[in-house]
Amino acid sequence: MSIPVITLLTIVLCAGILIGGLLAVLLDNIVGAIICAGLASLFASVVYVVLAAPDVAMTEASIGSGLSTMIFLYAIRKTQSDEQSREDEE
Amino acid sequence: MADIGMTEITVIISAMLIFFSIVFGIIRLVKGPDTVDRVVAIDLLTIVTIALIALLAHEAERYIYLDVALVYGLLSFLGVLAVARYLEKGI
Repeated sequence: MSIPVITLLTIVLCAGILIGGLLAVLLDNIVGAIICAGLASLFASVVYVVLAAPDVAMTEASIGSGLSTMIFLYAIRKTQSDEQSREDEE
Repeated sequence: MADIGMTEITVIISAMLIFFSIVFGIIRLVKGPDTVDRVVAIDLLTIVTIALIALLAHEAERYIYLDVALVYGLLSFLGVLAVARYLEKGI
């Protein structure tokens, strides 16, 4: 009875992965692009749960959605400060 | 239709609510003109996702899936916190 409901939710999740990937490529706002990449990782981990792989889902949730977002933001902040100090020297 | 119990009705209604929450969250994430809108949308989608993992654990009758939801609940605030500190020039 509830199998079509799970199928519908899985289709929405796969569409969400597609939308997140497209927005991560197409957005001009760089923080928004990082957040959309986090959305793709978030929904991919739920699809892993649907495909009966909870260990892969746990790794994807911790690394893909949590750690990579922080590392991307940290790297962007560091490179922006490099660019600004270089502009100040010039 | 007489053999549908209370549990199935609850599961179907909650799945429908999760479905509409995901759809509206994605709409806000796509439309959101500001970064803050997208941060709030991804926070909403994270919480809805935790509920969805719990629903999947009930449907598959494998309660090891609840560990995934637990890890997600522990780690979900880190991304939002990192973006908030980035916007306030803290990182």
